[in-house]
Amino acid sequence: MQQTSKQPTSSAWPQWSLQMLWRSFLDMLPAMLAPLVGVVVAFGIIILILKWQGADAQVAWDYVYEGSLATAAKRADLVAFWMPLALTSLGLVLTFTAGLWNIGVEGQIVMGAIGATWAIRLFAESKAPPLGLEMGRTGILITSFIFAAIAGALWATVAAVLKTRGGVNEIFGGVALNFIAQTFNMYLVSNGGPWQPAGSRATETARFPKIARLPAMENYRRLSPTTIYMTLAAFVVVVVIMYISRWGLQLRAQGKNEKSAFLLGVHTQRNAIAAMAVCGGMAGVAGAFRVMAPDVVKLTATPSGGIGFQAILVVLLAATSVLLVPFVSFAFAVLSKGGQRMESGFQWDFDITLDRSLVRVLQSTVVLMVVLAFGVRNRFFPPRSVQPIPDDEEEIDRT
Amino acid sequence: MRVELQQISKTFGRVRANQDISLTFEEGHIYAVLGENGAGKSTLMKIMSGYQAADSGHVVVDGQSLELRAPTDAIEHGIGMLYQDPLDFPPFTVLENFIAGRPGGVFPDMEAARQHFLELTERFGFALDPDRYVDMLTIGERQQLEILRLLSLGVRVLILDEPTTGISAEQKQALFNVLKSLAHDEQMTIILVSHKLEDVIELCDHAYVLRRGRFVGEKEIPCPIPQLVELMFGKVIERKEVPRVSVGAPVLEVENLALSSHRLTVENLSLTVHEGEVIGLAGLDGSGQGAFIRSISGLFPPMRGTIRVDGRDMTRASYHDFAAAGVAFLPAGRLEEGLIAGMTLTEHFALTLPSRAPWVNWVRAWRVTQERIQHFNVKGRPNSPIQTLSGGNQQRFALALLPDNLRLLLLEHPTRGLDVESANYIWEQLLARREQGTAIIFISAELDEIVAYSDRVMVFFGGQTTLVEDRAQMTVGHLGELIGGRM
Repeated sequence: MQQTSKQPTSSAWPQWSLQMLWRSFLDMLPAMLAPLVGVVVAFGIIILILKWQGADAQVAWDYVYEGSLATAAKRADLVAFWMPLALTSLGLVLTFTAGLWNIGVEGQIVMGAIGATWAIRLFAESKAPPLGLEMGRTGILITSFIFAAIAGALWATVAAVLKTRGGVNEIFGGVALNFIAQTFNMYLVSNGGPWQPAGSRATETARFPKIARLPAMENYRRLSPTTIYMTLAAFVVVVVIMYISRWGLQLRAQGKNEKSAFLLGVHTQRNAIAAMAVCGGMAGVAGAFRVMAPDVVKLTATPSGGIGFQAILVVLLAATSVLLVPFVSFAFAVLSKGGQRMESGFQWDFDITLDRSLVRVLQSTVVLMVVLAFGVRNRFFPPRSVQPIPDDEEEIDRT
Repeated sequence: MRVELQQISKTFGRVRANQDISLTFEEGHIYAVLGENGAGKSTLMKIMSGYQAADSGHVVVDGQSLELRAPTDAIEHGIGMLYQDPLDFPPFTVLENFIAGRPGGVFPDMEAARQHFLELTERFGFALDPDRYVDMLTIGERQQLEILRLLSLGVRVLILDEPTTGISAEQKQALFNVLKSLAHDEQMTIILVSHKLEDVIELCDHAYVLRRGRFVGEKEIPCPIPQLVELMFGKVIERKEVPRVSVGAPVLEVENLALSSHRLTVENLSLTVHEGEVIGLAGLDGSGQGAFIRSISGLFPPMRGTIRVDGRDMTRASYHDFAAAGVAFLPAGRLEEGLIAGMTLTEHFALTLPSRAPWVNWVRAWRVTQERIQHFNVKGRPNSPIQTLSGGNQQRFALALLPDNLRLLLLEHPTRGLDVESANYIWEQLLARREQGTAIIFISAELDEIVAYSDRVMVFFGGQTTLVEDRAQMTVGHLGELIGGRM
C-alpha cells in the first residue's frame, strides 16, 4: 500500500514500452474488426435477398459500380449527391456528440430548401425586391444560403426549445416537425399552392432564373464546385470544434452525462440549443444545395430525397467520429447512386423488378450489423479501459 | 441448507478479484463477509447469486454442485441476493414489483398475490402499501419489498449487500429483527456483506474477512472490534482528532427559508455559516437536508426566504451563479452526478479549468492533472478513464477537481461506501480547505462522522430543523434522538 500510493504518475512513463504498444494494439483489434465483420454480414444478407429475387449478386454489384463510379460523368453525379449528404452528416456529428438525436434533420433540410427558394423568389424572380435590393448573382446565391441556414436553424431550434423548455424529447419533436415541414412544402408547390406556377400540374415551382443557379463545372454540368468548397469548409470547422475547441469538449461531456456536465459548470441547455441550431443551419444549406443544384433549380415535392435519414445512418455508422464521416457518407452515396442504376438495369436487362429501396435495406442492414458487432465486442471482448481496477492493482499483480 | 464455496477464483483483466476462496455457510446462522473497498466481497457474492460466473471453483448446496448461469438459477436453488441499490421498477406499484420475476404465466393472479403479500408484511411487521408506486418509497421500504419478494420465491439463503446504507435507524432495527428471526426461528442462512463493523457486531454470529481478493481469517462474534479491523486492514486505524479552526466572517446567511417538494415542506430555516466552519446536516433520508443543500447551490429554488453568499442576495440565482460566487456542490452519486464516465482524468480538468479561450489548452490540463492527482493521492493516470478508478479514488478525484479558494463547499455523503482509511484521507483534504476560509456543509448518514467533524450540527426531522451548537450535546445518542423526532 505504502509503495504503490507514492508512484502512480512518476512510474507511468517507463511503462510506455513496446509491450504497452502491443497490448493496446490487442485492445484495439476487436474494435477494428467489429465494423468489418458487420459489413461482411450485411453484404451476406443482401446477397441472400438478391438470390431470393432471382438476381445475380455479381451483376448487381456491376450495376452499382456502373451507376456510381464507372465513368467520369457518373463520378461527378456521385459527388453532387455526396456533398449535401456529407454536410448534413457533419452537422449531425455535433448533435449526436451532445447526446441529441436530431431526427428532425430531414425537416430542417426541407425548411432550408424552402428558405433558399423564398430568397430566390424575393430577390431574383420578383420585379421589386424588398428594400429595393438589386443583387448580382453572387449576392443572390449568398442570400439564398443565408436564408436556408436560418430556416434550418430556426426549425432545429424549435425542436431544441421544445426539449429544453417543454420537456419534449427531441426525437418526438423532430418527427412531428419533419411531418409539418414536408406538409408545408407540399402545400407550397401542389394543388394551386402559392408557389406552384399558374396552370401547372407538376408539384414543383417553376425553374429558377439563371441568376439563381449554382455555377456548374465546365465538363460536368450537374456538379457545382460551390457545394464542394462549402462542404470542405464545414468539415474543417467541425473538426476544429470537435478536437480543439472547448465547446466540442463540453458537447462530448454532456453527451456522456448531462447531469454531471451541468454540475461541473457546463451550460448544458445553451449548448444543446446551439448544437441543434448549428446542425439545423448546415442541414438547411444542404437543402439549398439540393434545390439549387444545376440540374434541379426548383423546389420539388421532395427536396430532401431522404438524405436526412441517410445522414443519421452515416453518423451512427461513423460512431460520431467526424473524421470518418467523409468516408462513410461517400460509401452511402455510392450505394444510393448505384442503387438507381441497379433498379433500372435489372428492369431492362433481366425483367426483374427490384425496388431501389433495396439499397436502403442494404444501408440500414450495414448500420444494424455494425452496431450489433460493436455490441458483441463490448460484451465478449470488453476493452481494458472499462474493466474495474481496484486500488491495489499493482500489488495483486505481483503476488 | 448448507452452502459451500469451493476454491472460487475470478479475474477481471489483470486484476484478481477472488483468489481461491473457500467458505462454508451453515443454516440457522447469520454470517458477515467483511472487507474494505475492493477486497472482492461483492464479486464473491455475485458469483454465489448467479449474477456472474467464476473462472474456477464451485458453488455447492447440500453436497450438490450447482451450475449458475443467471440469478434465476440461484433463486431456483434457494439463493437470493439483495443488491445495494434495490432492483425494482419505480413506475410500477409495490404489488406489481412483488409479482415481477415470479414464474406463473402471462396473466398473474393478482388477488392471490395480494393475499400472499399482505400475509408476509404482517408476519414481518413491514408497513408496505401494495398499491403505492415504488418511486414514492424510501430506500429502506424498497429493500423491505425486495426481501419479501425473495422470500416469496422460496429463498433459503439470503445475501444482503450493504443493506444499512441509506436507511433510517428504525428501518435498520426492523430489518435486523427480521433477519434474526429468519435465521434463528426459520433456520435460514443470512449473509451480510458490509464494512460497517457496528452492524456486523450487532447482527452476525460469524465473520469471514477478505482482503485483496483473498480469504484472510474468520472470527466468532462477539469479539472485540479492533480484532476485526486488524484482519480487514492488517493494521489498526483510528479516527484522527480534528483540530478546530477559528471562524471568520459569515459566508452564508439563510433567513426564514421555506422549501417545498411533493413530499415535504421545510419552513423557517435560518442558518449563518462562517469562514472555516464545518456544519453537519443529520437526519433520515428525505427529511429536508437534501432539498436544503440543493437550494443553497442554486439547484432547487426556495418558495420564500433569502439566501445570501458573502452578503450578496442569491435567493433565486442559478447553479452557475452560485458556482461563480465560490459555492461548490459535490453530490452523493459520483458517476451519476459529478464525474463523467468515458472521459479521462485530463479531460475532466480540461472541462473544468477556468479559461476564457475558446480552445482547450491540453498541455496545461495534462500538467494540472498530474499535479492534482499526485497531491490528492489519486491512484490513476492522467489518461485513465474515470470509471476505471475505484470508488475511493473517484471521490478523491472529485475533490481534486474542485477549484481552490472556494467560499462554501457543499457535500452529500462525502465518504459513503468508502473504507475508514479512504474516509480519513478525504476528511484531511476537506479540513485543510478551512485554512483558506472555506466553509463546509455536509450531509451524512453516519452519526459518528457528523460528531467527529462538525462544529455545529443541524438536525432535520420531517422538515423541522434543530440546530445543535453546544459541543457537549453533540453525541451520537443525543443526535440520534433528535433524528428520531424526540426534541
